[in-house]
Parts: sequence; C-alpha cells; structure tokens
Amino acid sequence: MTFSFRKSLLAASVSLAALISAQAVTAQEAVFVIGTSEVGAPTYNPIKATMLNTATGLLFDRLVSQAADLSYHPWLAESWEEAADGMSWTFKLKQGVTFHNGEPFNAETVKAWLELFKTTEGENTYMAEAIASVEVVDEHTVKFVMSRPEPNLLYNLSSTFMSVVEPKSFAALGDNYGVTEVYGTGPFKLESFAIGQETVLVRNEDYKWGPAVAANAGPAKVERLTFREIPEDSTAFLELKTGGVDFLLSVPADLMGEVQKEANLAVLTMAGQDVWYMPINVTKAPFDDIRVREAAAKAINQEEILASVFGGVGAVADTFLISALPESKVSDSARIKFDPARANALLDEAGWAMGEGGVRMKDGQPLKVTLWTQSDSIFRRLTEVVQAQLKAVGIEAEITTFDSSMIRDQYKTGEQQLAVRSYNWDNADIVDWFFGGDRLGYPNVSMFNDPKAEELRAAAMTGARNMDERVANFTAYHEYVLTQFPMAPIYQPVQAYAYNAERIALPQTINAPTFGPAAFLDLEVKE
Amino acid sequence: MLSWLIKRLLMLVPVFLAVSVVIFSILHFIPGDPIDNLLKVGSSPEARAEMEARYGLDRPLPVQYGLWLGNVVQGDLGTAIVARRPVADLIAQALPHSLRLGGLALLFSTVVGVTLGVVAALNRDRWPDRAIMGGVLVGSTMPSFWLGLILILIFSVSLGWFPVSGARGWNSLVLPVLTIGLGGTALVARITRVSMIEAAGRDFVTLLHAKGLSPLRIQLRHVLRHALIPVVTILALRIGWILGGAVTVEVVFARPGLGTLLIKSLSQHDYPVVQACLLMLAMAVMLGTLLGDILQALMDPRVRAALT
Repeated sequence: MTFSFRKSLLAASVSLAALISAQAVTAQEAVFVIGTSEVGAPTYNPIKATMLNTATGLLFDRLVSQAADLSYHPWLAESWEEAADGMSWTFKLKQGVTFHNGEPFNAETVKAWLELFKTTEGENTYMAEAIASVEVVDEHTVKFVMSRPEPNLLYNLSSTFMSVVEPKSFAALGDNYGVTEVYGTGPFKLESFAIGQETVLVRNEDYKWGPAVAANAGPAKVERLTFREIPEDSTAFLELKTGGVDFLLSVPADLMGEVQKEANLAVLTMAGQDVWYMPINVTKAPFDDIRVREAAAKAINQEEILASVFGGVGAVADTFLISALPESKVSDSARIKFDPARANALLDEAGWAMGEGGVRMKDGQPLKVTLWTQSDSIFRRLTEVVQAQLKAVGIEAEITTFDSSMIRDQYKTGEQQLAVRSYNWDNADIVDWFFGGDRLGYPNVSMFNDPKAEELRAAAMTGARNMDERVANFTAYHEYVLTQFPMAPIYQPVQAYAYNAERIALPQTINAPTFGPAAFLDLEVKE
Repeated sequence: MLSWLIKRLLMLVPVFLAVSVVIFSILHFIPGDPIDNLLKVGSSPEARAEMEARYGLDRPLPVQYGLWLGNVVQGDLGTAIVARRPVADLIAQALPHSLRLGGLALLFSTVVGVTLGVVAALNRDRWPDRAIMGGVLVGSTMPSFWLGLILILIFSVSLGWFPVSGARGWNSLVLPVLTIGLGGTALVARITRVSMIEAAGRDFVTLLHAKGLSPLRIQLRHVLRHALIPVVTILALRIGWILGGAVTVEVVFARPGLGTLLIKSLSQHDYPVVQACLLMLAMAVMLGTLLGDILQALMDPRVRAALT
C-alpha cells in the first residue's frame, strides 16, 4: 500500500516535470488552424493535387514570388529575361540551394521538375503547357523554349501548384510523395501528416534563400509549426480564445466581432481575393432581354450590402475582378453600379409595368424569378438583402437554398435564373473560366455564350505576346462581358486572420498577396 | 441454441445484400460526381472521359455494383478517388477513434442511465423521480451539436478543465463522450425506470415479499435483473446508432473518426469512401441487433427454454 502510494507520487512528480519542460518547449512552437475551405486536402503533392493548404507553401519554394501589389520578385530564380518575341525565357537560379533530402537544386533539377508536368497524371499540367522544352545553359541558368508566348508564365511560376519538387524522390515515391514523405527546398520540413487532422512541420535549419518579398531570408524564427484542421468555425474560435491554438488562417465575417471582443486576440486583414456576385442566366426569360438583366444588376445596392451585411469590412465590387488586378481598370461606363432610376426606366421600357403590391406585370404575368443560394449562413443573409433590393424595383425573387457541396451540380442543369455566389482567384483569366462559351452550366452559371466575347476571349487567353498586350486584351474582354450584364458584382471581402497577440508577433508589413511563406519566415513567437 | 444462432446469422445475408444495394445506388442518384473534384481549370472533355474510364465510372450501374460487391466480399474496399489511397487505410485510421468514443459513450449511458433509472423507480412519484425524469427529458431533447458547444463553453472556456477539441490524450475524450452519452443516458434511465415499475407489480415479487425478503434486496437482486432485459436489448441496438450519431459530435470537436471521414468524403463525392463508411455503420447496426437478440436469449429463461 505504502509502496504503491509512493510509486504513484513519484509518477505524478515525473509527469509534472514533463509538463513543465513541455511548456518550455512550446515557446518555440506555434499552432495554426487551417482555413475551413482547405480542410481535408489529401496530399502535399503540388503537381497532382487540386487542393493545397497553406502548409504546402512552407515545404516548397517557387521560382518567382509575388508581392502584395501582385508584382513579381525573385525567389529560387535570381533574375529572368523574356525574349522580345515571347518565344523563350531565361532564368538565372540561386546558388547553394539544397532539398530536404540533401539533393542539390540546379538547372538540371528545374529541367527534370518541368518534365514531370508532361509525364505525371495530374490536373495542373496546364500550368506548364506553354513550355515546349527546357535547355540547361549552365549549372545555374535555364532557358524555357515556348510553344507560344505566355505572358502569364510568371503568375503560374509563382503559384503553389508550381512549387519546385525534388524530382528523384518524386519519381521513387509515386503516390506516397506528398502523403508519407515529401521533399522540397522550403523553410520547413514535413514531420508528420494525418489527413484531415494535423500536419507538423519542423524548421529547415539550412534555409537561407527566402523570397525577395520577405524581410528574413531564413532560417525561420519559429522551430515547429502545427497545422490543425478544424471543420467547425466556432470550435476553432473557442480553441483560439482558450489558448489551445495561436492562429486561425480564416475567420468568417460572423465571428469577426467575437474575436475583436477578446483582449488577447487580434485580427489581421489583407486585401481580398474573393468577389461576391449575382450571376444572371442570359438564356432564361425574362433575362434573355438585356434590359431586364441591366435593370436587375443596377438594382443591387453594393454600398448598403457592404454596410449592413459585412459591417463595412471589405469593399464594394463594381467589376468582375478584384480591384488589385490591372484588368479591373475598365472604363467608368462599363462599371456596374447601383442606379435604381435607370433600373426602373429599363423595366418600364421592356414592358414590365409596376403592378399591385409592388410587383411588375407584363401580359398578365408577374415579374417573378428564382434566386439560388448556398446553405452557409452568410450567403443566406446576403441573399435575403439582395431579394429585398430586387423587390424595390418590382422584381419578386423567390430564394431556393442548396447545400454548399451540391450547388455546383444544380447549376449544371441550367435551370437557375439568378444566384448569389462567390469565387476566389487573383488572375484575370477567371473571366474566361466563368464566362467561356464551352463551360455552360458550371462554371458558366450565367450560360453566357456570345460570339464577340468568344473572339475577345481567344485574344486574351492565347493571343498576347507580352504582359502589356495581355492586360490590354483581358481588359477589353472583361469590359465587353460587363456591358452584356451576365452578372451583377456585389462585394470584395478582405482576407481575415485572427491570432493570439500575447503569443504571436507579426512583422510590420506582409508584402505578399496572402498569409504565406513570406509571413511565416518573419513571424515570431513571444517568449 | 446453435441451430437458432446459425439461422439467425444466415438471415443477415439477405439483409446485407439489401443494404449494399441501397448504399451503392443512393450515391448515384444524388447530382454530381467525384470527377468534378479532380478536374481543374482548362480540362478537356477527353480528359474527363479518360478519368471516368480509369475509375470504372463509365460502365453501367449494375456492372459497377457487381464489381464493387465482389471486391467488398473479398475484403477489398477499393481506392479512394479524391484522397488517392486505399479505402481500407482511411477506415483503419478512423475506426479506432470512433470505437473508443462510441464504446465509452455507451458505457457512460449504461452506468449512469441504469443508476438514475433505479433511483427514480425506487422513489416513484416522489421528488427524486420527478427531478431525474425532468432532467432526462431535457437531456434527450437537446441536439448533440448544440450540447457539444455548450459543454465546450462551460468546461473548456469557463472552467478550463478540458481541451476544446482534438484527439490528444484521455481528457480530450471527456466532453465528446458526455455529449453522445447524455442522449443515451436519458433513454436508458427511462426504460430502466418503466420496466422496474412494471416488474415490481409481478406475482413473483409479491411472493418474495411474502417470503419476508428485505424490499431493497428484492428490488436490486430480483426486480432489477428482470428489468434489465429490455435495457440490454436497447443498448445493443444503440451500438450502430452511436457510431452514426457521432458524426456531428466528431465535427464539433474536430476529432478523427468515421463521422468526419464520411462528411468529408460526401462533400468531395468520394464514392468508395462514402460507401465503405456507410457499410461500416450498417454492419454495426446489424451486429448490434444480432448481439441484442443473443443477449436477450441468454438472459431470459423463457426465450432460452424455447430455443433448446
């Protein structure tokens, strides 16, 4: 009896000691919660994956980095030059870079890596599709020979999907690459990965080749990062509040107020990459009449939505693209803005006369349409406001709510009239994705197929020889699409992050489009 | 007894086949397919057709079903389309977590439920009975999603006793077990109480009283034993229900398990994984029912006599 009591006392003191030393270690670590839209990413294989989470960007580097203003800067490539005709690009590579498994990074690796896009079954191969071949000029210089000019090449090279993988282990590991083991040149190495649960990364002590946009070139200041996957936003918030985690990589608009109430928590916002909009199905009456489309679009009061639904956080949208993109700079007349007088006049002109109860009538039929939305609470709230704004000009919209995971399949039926949805992308080619005539239903929810738009689209997608031409062509394509009113732009959110300000010290500025490798290199944990 | 058991096991075969048809076909009737989740911007119709052929999704449904069932019977659950690894691996990672959670929740509802039921029955129509039955009514009507968040607010946020979420160590199990267990507790307590009261009115109890045994001894040794037969049956039936009902609780507490795996695979239309998860849950219900029947046979002398 006495003996076992003493034994348990001993055990208790041992575990207490372990607890104390564990606390000493935690000062060097930080726990992040992955954004809910990235939960369940099944692999860290950038060539094969369709979904990659934030941790991916820390395992690998890319040739090119992107700054907050979307300009391009060196990373694994020190400098580059495009041939005048756009048919070749030459990249000077950084020296002294090694992969996590000790393999050197050089011109041969870049050649072998780009070969993988041709030989690997995967859905991201289009990113390197315009590169016909790669020539090794010397150990640290490569030349890409192009099959056509691709002004968007730097964007693709700065994407996480073009993270530089170590080609030998990639070939050897097959489907296990990115799941059980993964080797990149990034500031962190993979320690463990449980799909849908948790990823643990440890610092790459040799790292000294960070992107030009980060203040710290490496190694990172924090030794160990844990990325937890919590599917439920309120659970994630409560973990942050109780100190179970240090940082949430996404905060929904509904929880922002709760975060701001807590003294130890802080919110970080960065320019958004989302646009919320109302697609209008151009093939469904009454919206086959462009006047009715324009009226519906101009009935949307973006300022009111920004203030009432989103508490003034973010910005209004009056084009289809995020305002950081140069292609969003269309002429003022093409911008779609709230104009109730014009909306009412157009509906009168189209023969829809104001009837009893504030609903317009034509040939004895009321102006009743369907308005689709998805089940998330923020979508439902926004859609109710849109419904009220449409009613104000005499359009009665009936809301139908679909489960968020099912709504894409509903769009494929083409039965929608109006809908409220959002997208996340930071390149003008999204106009092609959502309005291309060969993608009717989904992604082309508006069922928009216009011969002139198709011409402008081809010029924008493959007809430009350099960046200036690409910007001009995409601006023209975007502007024309806007004048046909296949949608009404509504809102541009910010990217919102929440963190424990007592634990985490953020750099003064984060010169990157999202909270990625540059921010993680500069981030510190307070002792 | 043995021939009864064999007959009972054989009856599971048609049930299994019927369940498998439902599980297989139900997914094909909801809109959408997993290929959408695999194809990215700029994919051609040819790439799509090639992908469908690779996963056998281009074949007629009955053929797909036959192939699937054949593999399942041989223990091959296939390969996850979106997660790109053997389904068996995913299930093997998830199942132990679900079993631990479900097992503890079942244990909790049994111990607490039977105790409360006995206390209520012994104090029939007096305040302890009313208090327990009132509490039980509240407990059984609370949605587990909400209950889980309330428990987190009380025990993690205010008191700081347990972690908010995750699956590290025993203390992360307490709140999820309570969340699932409380609903079951209500059911068990009510059935224990009712069948105790019902059994107490039987002739054999009058006889025991007449023989001069102490009332408490009669209640606990004879009445309770009698009253537990329906309780055991209900508990066995709940095995499957608890595994399935853990879905929302696993999501709230961000725990690994069949529930989180099912939800994630459903939203990605990862057919093989969803089918395997549903099959696991259906099998748990079938085995629970079988177990209930066997236990009932063993405990009830009348059923036992009829079988031998």
